[in-house]
Amino acid sequence: MAIKLPPVDVAVIGLGAAGGVAVLPLARAGLKVAAIEAGAWLDPRSFRPDEINNNIRGWPDSVQKANREIPTVRLGPSLPTLPRTSVHPMMNAVGGSSLHYWAQSWRLNPFDFQTRSRAIARYGASAIPAGSTLEDWPLTYDDLEPYYDLVEQEIGVSGKAGNIQGVIHPQGNVFEGPRRREYPMPPLRSTGFTDHMAAAAKQLGWKPFRPPAAINSEEHRGRAACVFHGYCSRGGCHINAKNSTAVTTIPEAMKTKQLSVFDRAQVTRILSGADGRVTGVQYLRNGSEYFQPARAVLLGSYTYENTRLLLLSKSKAYPKGLSNNHGQVGKHYFGHWVSYGNGGVLALFPFDLNVWYGTPAQGMVVDEWADDNYDHTGLGFIGGSNLHVFNEMHPIQSASMDTFGRTPAWGSRWKSFVHENAARWTAAHVQTSSFPYEENFLDLDTEVRDPLGDPVCRITCGPKDNELRAVAFAQKKMEQWFLAAGAIQVVRRPMSPPGVSTHAYGGTRMGDNAETNVVDRWGFSHEAPNLGVLGASVMGTSGARNPTQTVQALCWRTAEHLIKNWKSIAV
Amino acid sequence: MSSNFRRVRLGISDGGIYTVAVQKPLSISRRSIFTTAPLIPLAALSAAPDSGFSPAQLRLVEAFVDRLIPSDENGPGARESGVAIYIDRSFAGPLADEKPALLKGLASVDAFARSTQNGPLAELLPDKQDAVLTAIENNDAPGFTPDSRTFFYRMRQLAFEGMFGDPFYGGNRGFAGWDLIRYPGPRMAVSSEEQKLREPIKKLRTSARPASNGVNHGH
Repeated sequence: MAIKLPPVDVAVIGLGAAGGVAVLPLARAGLKVAAIEAGAWLDPRSFRPDEINNNIRGWPDSVQKANREIPTVRLGPSLPTLPRTSVHPMMNAVGGSSLHYWAQSWRLNPFDFQTRSRAIARYGASAIPAGSTLEDWPLTYDDLEPYYDLVEQEIGVSGKAGNIQGVIHPQGNVFEGPRRREYPMPPLRSTGFTDHMAAAAKQLGWKPFRPPAAINSEEHRGRAACVFHGYCSRGGCHINAKNSTAVTTIPEAMKTKQLSVFDRAQVTRILSGADGRVTGVQYLRNGSEYFQPARAVLLGSYTYENTRLLLLSKSKAYPKGLSNNHGQVGKHYFGHWVSYGNGGVLALFPFDLNVWYGTPAQGMVVDEWADDNYDHTGLGFIGGSNLHVFNEMHPIQSASMDTFGRTPAWGSRWKSFVHENAARWTAAHVQTSSFPYEENFLDLDTEVRDPLGDPVCRITCGPKDNELRAVAFAQKKMEQWFLAAGAIQVVRRPMSPPGVSTHAYGGTRMGDNAETNVVDRWGFSHEAPNLGVLGASVMGTSGARNPTQTVQALCWRTAEHLIKNWKSIAV
Repeated sequence: MSSNFRRVRLGISDGGIYTVAVQKPLSISRRSIFTTAPLIPLAALSAAPDSGFSPAQLRLVEAFVDRLIPSDENGPGARESGVAIYIDRSFAGPLADEKPALLKGLASVDAFARSTQNGPLAELLPDKQDAVLTAIENNDAPGFTPDSRTFFYRMRQLAFEGMFGDPFYGGNRGFAGWDLIRYPGPRMAVSSEEQKLREPIKKLRTSARPASNGVNHGH
C-alpha cells in the first residue's frame, strides 16, 4: 500500500531543465513545493573527461531510469519498429539533461510563434505543408520576452545581443527579435577555428556571430568561468561553469526552505478524482511506494515521459489517459530535424583545425538561412536552418570520422589516413524548423515494456517533404561556407528522420482550442484545471535552434500564472 | 529486472483503481546491497571483474580487431594496445546483455573462415584474415544476424572504443590510440593558445581515472 505523505501545494514531476526552473518562482512565492526526480544528485567530482562513461555508456554510475524506458521508433503507422537504441539521449539527475547538454541558450525567432499566419501572409495558403497540423502559438515572441529575460538573468547566459529594443547591433544576431537588454555575460571566447569560419562567412556576405550559451564566460554569481576542457557534450561541468538548474535555480529555490527534493524517486502515476482534478502523484523510492497529495501538479518529465505518464494515468474521469478526453495527448509530435555528424555536412581541411577542446556552444553561427530571414518564394518549403560550427571533439568520435571516400574503413591505409586527418575534419550542426503532422504522433508501445511492466512510449514519425527540402537547402549553404573556408572536401550526408531525440516536441501541445491542444496558453490542461505541463511537449514549432531556453521561459510563465491565480486553480 | 516485481492492484485516492508494481523482497545476494533496486542501472548489477570470453573467443576477438587496427609504421595495433581486454571487460560487465549476440557473430566468423580459408580466423595468415574480414564487411558472409556488415561495424565500433577510449578501461595501452590520431590528451583547463588553428598542441598523457584510485575494473 502506498505511504501517504503530508500534502504540499505543488508537486513537480521531474527536476531537470524545466521543473528546475519552475520551482524557483513557486518557492519564492511561498508555496510549498515537492519536486520528485528519478535521478540522483550528482557531484562535480563525478564529471570526468571520460568519453566512454559520458558518450558511449551514458552515465552508468548515475540512476538512468530513462535507459529502461527508451521509446520505440517507427516511420509510419503501418511500418515496422526500428532497432532500439540502448542509451537514452536524455539523462536523469537533479538538473536533468541540463547537466550534460550543449548549453546553447537561444530565444526563438518571432516568426516561430506565428509561422502559420506569417507564412500564409507572405507566400499564400499553399505554403503550409500538406498534412501538417501547424497552428500559431497562443502567444507571441513579445509575450514571452520578459520571461526569456528572467531566465537569462537567473541561470546566467553569455552572448552578444543583436537587437536591443529595436536598435541593431551587428556583432550579435541581427535577425533576432528585440530584447530589452544585453546578455548578462559577454559571449564565450572565439577560437582559431571559429575566427577562420567567421572570416569565410563574411566573404560570402553573411553576418556570423557567437551564439548564446548558458555557460559562464566570466565569473558569475560566485561560480567560475568556463575553462574549455572539451568534455561538455554529454558531460557535466567539473567547475560548475555550465549553468544547469542543479547549480542555479534549484539551489536558489532551496534557500527559501519551501522546496523539498525527492531524488531517486520514480513517478508511476498522476492520480485524479471524479471531478477531473488531479489529487497528487504516486512514486517509487527506495523500494517503497508513496502517494504525494498536492493541490496542483506540474508535469515536467521530458516530452516522451510527459505523454507516457498522462496516457498511463487513467481514471474514471479520464478513461483514455489523464487530460486525454479530446484524444490530443501524444498528437502533434515532432523531432527536430538536425543535420549533424554522419547525417550532416562534414568537411575535411588541409590543416589541423584543433577543435579538440572548448565546448559546442563556443561556436560561430550564421542565421541568414534560418526561420523566414530570406525569401522562400518558389523553394517549396517554409522554415529554415541555423548553421553552427563549433569546437569540441572527443578521441573515439574523431577516429570514427567519415573516410571521405579516400581510404578503406580499416587496416594500415586507414591508420595512415586518421593519423593525418583526425584533427582536420569537423561536422556542422544544422538545425531546421520542424512541424507537426497528422501522421506523426506518440502513443504507448503494444509490446515493449519497462521493468515495472508499463509500456514504453512509441514514436511514429516519418519524413516529410517540407523538412527534407529545407534540410537539403541548408546543407548546400553549409557546404558553400565550408568551401569558402578552404575545405578540400565536403560531404552532404542523406538525412534520416529524427528518432529518439533531445529536441522532441509536442504530445501536450499548447493552444487556445481544446479540440486540438492539451494545454491552454498558460500551460494548464484544458481538462484537469490544476495540472500544468512543462517542457518542449507544449511547443507547436521548433524554430531552427535549441529548445531549452524557450522551455525555461515558458516554465517561468506557467509558474507565475499558477501563483497569480492560485485561488482559482488550486481551489 | 522484471522478476523483482510483482503486479498488485491498489485502490488509491478517489479516482479509481490503479495497477502498479511494487518490489518483491529480494533474496540475500550481492545485489541486495542496492536498496533502490528499481532504479539502479543494469550496468551496476552485472559488474564483475571476471573474464567474459573463453581463451579461444578472446584469441578470435584479438585477431579480428588486430586486422582492423594493425601494428605498422604508424604505431602499435589493437593487439599491443589491449583492445581485446577492453572488449572482454565490457562484455563481462556493461555489455553483458549483448554477449549472446556477439558470441553468435564470432562463431559465424570462424565458421566462415573455416569454410573459405580452411581454418579459424586466429590461425590464418594476415592476408587471409583480411579476405575474411573484407567479405564480412561487404555482406558476403552467411550466418550473421541481421547481416555480416552490421556485425563488422559493431566490432569496429568496439575496437575504436578500446583503442581510443581512456586507458582506464583496459585498451589504449601506452596511449597508442591517442598518439595515432594526434589527440593532445585530456586536460582540466585549456588556454586560447591550445585552440589555435594549425599550431601543434603540447601532448599530455594522463588518464581521467587513474588506476590507483579505482576499485573496479573499468565497468
